[in-house]
Amino acid sequence: MQNPTIELENVTVSYDRTIALHGANLQVNQGSIAGIVGMNGSGKSTLFKAIMGLEKLRSGRVLIQGKSINKIHQRNLLAYIPQTEAVDWDFPISVYDVVMMGRYGYMNCLRMPREIDRQIVTQSLEKTQLIGLEHRQIGELSGGQKKRTFLARTLAQQGEIILLDEPFAGVDVKTEKAIIELLIKLRDLGKTILISTHDLSNIATFCDQVILVNKTILAYGKTADVFTPENISRTFGGSVPQGLF
Amino acid sequence: MDIIWQWFTAPLQFQFMVQALFVSVLVGVICAVLSCYLTLKGWALMGDAVSHAVLPGVVLAYGLQIPLALGAFVFGLGSVLLIGLIKARTRVKEDAAIGLVFTGFFALGLVLISKLPSNIDLMHILFGNLLGISPENLIQTIVIAIITSVALFIFRKDLLLFCFDPIHAKSIGLNTTFLYYLLLIILALTIVAAQQTVGIILVIAMLITPGSTAYLLTDDFDRMTILAVISTVFSSVLGTYLSYHLDASPAGCIVVLQTLLFIVVMIFAPKYGLIAKR
Repeated sequence: MQNPTIELENVTVSYDRTIALHGANLQVNQGSIAGIVGMNGSGKSTLFKAIMGLEKLRSGRVLIQGKSINKIHQRNLLAYIPQTEAVDWDFPISVYDVVMMGRYGYMNCLRMPREIDRQIVTQSLEKTQLIGLEHRQIGELSGGQKKRTFLARTLAQQGEIILLDEPFAGVDVKTEKAIIELLIKLRDLGKTILISTHDLSNIATFCDQVILVNKTILAYGKTADVFTPENISRTFGGSVPQGLF
Repeated sequence: MDIIWQWFTAPLQFQFMVQALFVSVLVGVICAVLSCYLTLKGWALMGDAVSHAVLPGVVLAYGLQIPLALGAFVFGLGSVLLIGLIKARTRVKEDAAIGLVFTGFFALGLVLISKLPSNIDLMHILFGNLLGISPENLIQTIVIAIITSVALFIFRKDLLLFCFDPIHAKSIGLNTTFLYYLLLIILALTIVAAQQTVGIILVIAMLITPGSTAYLLTDDFDRMTILAVISTVFSSVLGTYLSYHLDASPAGCIVVLQTLLFIVVMIFAPKYGLIAKR
């Protein structure tokens, strides 16, 4: 039995008087791709933020590699890819500089890139096929290139746990395939990957685990066990998207 | 040719003009660098709030004979904390909380000025006193300029990341709470320094306009900072000269020039100007 790398025990998060996530329990093993599935407003983003230690917990606790979240941030363990809408694409910053920001946690306090940082950034750009685009301002990229820029930052950060918030929203099929291929490679290197999505069509093809969210964690576990019509119906409040099963 | 030469050299025979030029450039440069962060972070309104909220602090500091910077800093920070508290604990939205707090603080400052027995000139606090800066104030401005430039230099990359993607900043171990207050402290200090030249009303122009002008000219942050500084030095120097020759308000001249510069750039900028975008 593997040790779980992400562990939630009875986690409750609330905003003012509205409860966003109630009594959530979860274990995700190292070296797996876990899909977080739920409707918009079901608490997926809250779950993400709770795992990243960005939410005050009303109750319960979050453990990353067996340790409390507050001790984790110093160690570059968690890498986060924001939703496309959450990024200011007019920001005066180049692809290269965004990827270099993945290295800040390893640099001295002036954040002066060393040779090794430059090498890792270049390698990350290569792996995400962004060579030749590195001096573009980020707003001048296509949807897929934008996603790959942040994926490259994640690679440069060399985090053990990678969280992707709606990575397939607004990208074409080719980019989606490329992202999935890269994620599978990363998983095979022992990384743990969490993906939030409301697009169910290809969950079963690449996720090892599925986590069903609707104000709490309804079920989690191996995709084959959890990704059933009954469970999906519970997650989506009684309706199953057509043609899924 | 000789007339132009005269136009620039004649005022320099006065010590107060040399000092005014020096201080306006010094303050302008810090404001310009800071304005790049504020415009990208979306903190323009926050700058507006802090600049007004420092008034009671400045007045009290005069009264108690303590450094103006200290008084301004306490009230500037206090206003931001109060805005945060109102936003977090009540259903009042942020823009309303900002408007509510800074006007309240500003009004308190007006009451204090009229009640405290001192010879504070409200007009100097509000609109600056560039041509009559006292030696103590000159030293204070230089000290503030050094502190803020060093802080902005050391933390420039962290602050940039904090503006761009605070969640990533936090996940790689940067202390985002510290960066938030650092930016705020630099803001409060800069406002105190700028109070000398343009006053607390127009300082907001110094903190928004150069960054916005530069933002329309480039896609690179370092270049944006340099352009903001150049535009500020240009308007500060020319504005101070204009105020001498026209016998007009220095603060007014500097800010009007900055605004004109922004309008020109807004129309003619090569990539983001109105003409280029048509």
